[in-house]
Amino acid sequence: MSKRNRDWGNTLQGRFLRSMRFGCEPLDSLLVQRLDASRDESAVRALEAEDTLRELQQNERVAMARDKQVDFAQDVLEWSQSKGRKVIGRLYALLSIVICVTVIVLLMETVMNMPAFGSPAAPANNEVAARYIEKGMEETGAVNIVAGMILDYRAFDTLGESTVLYIAACAVLILLRIDRQKDGTPTQELIAEEADDRAFEPENDRILQGSAKVLTPIVLLLGIYVILNGHLSPGGGFSGGAIVGAGLILYLNAFGFARASRFFTYKTFTTVSLFSLSFYALAKTYSFYCGANGIPSGIPLGTPGAILSSGLILPLNICVGMVVACTMYVFFCLFRKGGL
Amino acid sequence: MNILEWVRFLLTAVCLLSGLFILVASVLGVYKFDYVLNRMHAAAMGDTLGIMFVLLGLIISAPDVWVIIKLVLVIVFLWVGNPVGSHLIARLEVNTNPVWAQQVRDARQEWEEGQSDGRL
Amino acid sequence: MDVFKLILLVILVICALAVSLTRNLLSSIIVYMAYSLVMSVIWMLLESPDLAITEAAVGAGVTTILFFITLKKIHAIKGESTDEQAQ
Repeated sequence: MSKRNRDWGNTLQGRFLRSMRFGCEPLDSLLVQRLDASRDESAVRALEAEDTLRELQQNERVAMARDKQVDFAQDVLEWSQSKGRKVIGRLYALLSIVICVTVIVLLMETVMNMPAFGSPAAPANNEVAARYIEKGMEETGAVNIVAGMILDYRAFDTLGESTVLYIAACAVLILLRIDRQKDGTPTQELIAEEADDRAFEPENDRILQGSAKVLTPIVLLLGIYVILNGHLSPGGGFSGGAIVGAGLILYLNAFGFARASRFFTYKTFTTVSLFSLSFYALAKTYSFYCGANGIPSGIPLGTPGAILSSGLILPLNICVGMVVACTMYVFFCLFRKGGL
Repeated sequence: MNILEWVRFLLTAVCLLSGLFILVASVLGVYKFDYVLNRMHAAAMGDTLGIMFVLLGLIISAPDVWVIIKLVLVIVFLWVGNPVGSHLIARLEVNTNPVWAQQVRDARQEWEEGQSDGRL
Repeated sequence: MDVFKLILLVILVICALAVSLTRNLLSSIIVYMAYSLVMSVIWMLLESPDLAITEAAVGAGVTTILFFITLKKIHAIKGESTDEQAQ
């Protein structure tokens, strides 16, 4: 180890780093030492006296320069405290007004020059939109044209969005999670956080629990309905997942972390997110591979309007919904207590 | 328009107007009162009753049975959700305000003493 | 219907201004929630119920809850109550 260190110290980077740290090239310092040893003592003394004289002069010069600097700094400080504050404040106000007015004028100009809402001449109404509207139901099998668009034509977009949600949940996990100790006992920080949380938690509130018992199944059912009916009616993975997540948050608030952690832990979160995202990616890769090479994908589209129709849109909706629901719930838990 | 239609229209109008009146009164109450519990009382009562009247008016004028069922479900949802929400706000206020916290502690102590005596 | 749309748009602008001009963080969050609700009604009028559902669930529901918990986390709500206790 030490040998390697010495070797490394003699390389170019090592010498460079040492010279950065100690101020001079090590080879030079060796040379100086050797020269010193070869000189006479008297010459050395004369040199030392010269050095001390030079040092004194230099110190004086440095002190004068420092005085000058201090005077200048005091002047600047006085100016900024008396007159400068007013001037800079006015400059800020002026600049902010100028920037605001410029941005407003630019935006207004853009809006004025935009084509009228829904006009056929607008660049948004090109052949892409026309094809989506005319052939969307035929090609994707989805009655809800929005679901056909975001989960079939532009499915990679939605995969990216779900991944962004998952990454956001992971980032919140990194930032806000409070770890337990190695043997599983809670740390001091966790205990303090839980005590702080309990002051606001409606602990064993009969009224809340009673109403949550009635409402949670209904909310979850509504969310599942919205997810499963994504290709037939307005809604879909994102909205349904948000509703399911809200239902889970309601359950958590009514019954506490102890009961909620019976069915939802970190493992549930990672498993569900991982399987949903990887199934999504695999399914879409398959269908894009088939579509790009002109191979029939073999996925039946079914009759439009039936619940089991429109090919891959229904399972993809379920995947997106599960990811969104898990992310909402994990966000809430981590923000509130720092753990599931 | 026959007489039945007129009756229906009038009932709808009366329900909607009374619902609007209650909602406006609750908004005024929220701005008028100072203390949390008073304001919350005004807001919760106005929401529950006013929305019930407005939705009742819509139910009377609804063209379809399915619309009526959906509106009834909305009323049920609001009547479960709204009072519970205001109950939670009131509970938080009572728990965190030191004045009330002392009273709650006293009452609980009294209740526990009564229970240990066997009176309750 | 145009009058209704106009009223909604005016409320939207007022809410958007109020969110940035309110000093109290708690009330600005509540105003932001009102903004989301008005926005979801406007999405409904623009015939995009998908967006309306998502806006109502995410914008008015989950985001508001997360903001509230964040305020609690940084002790912005609790600070007021301790001030009252000190008085």
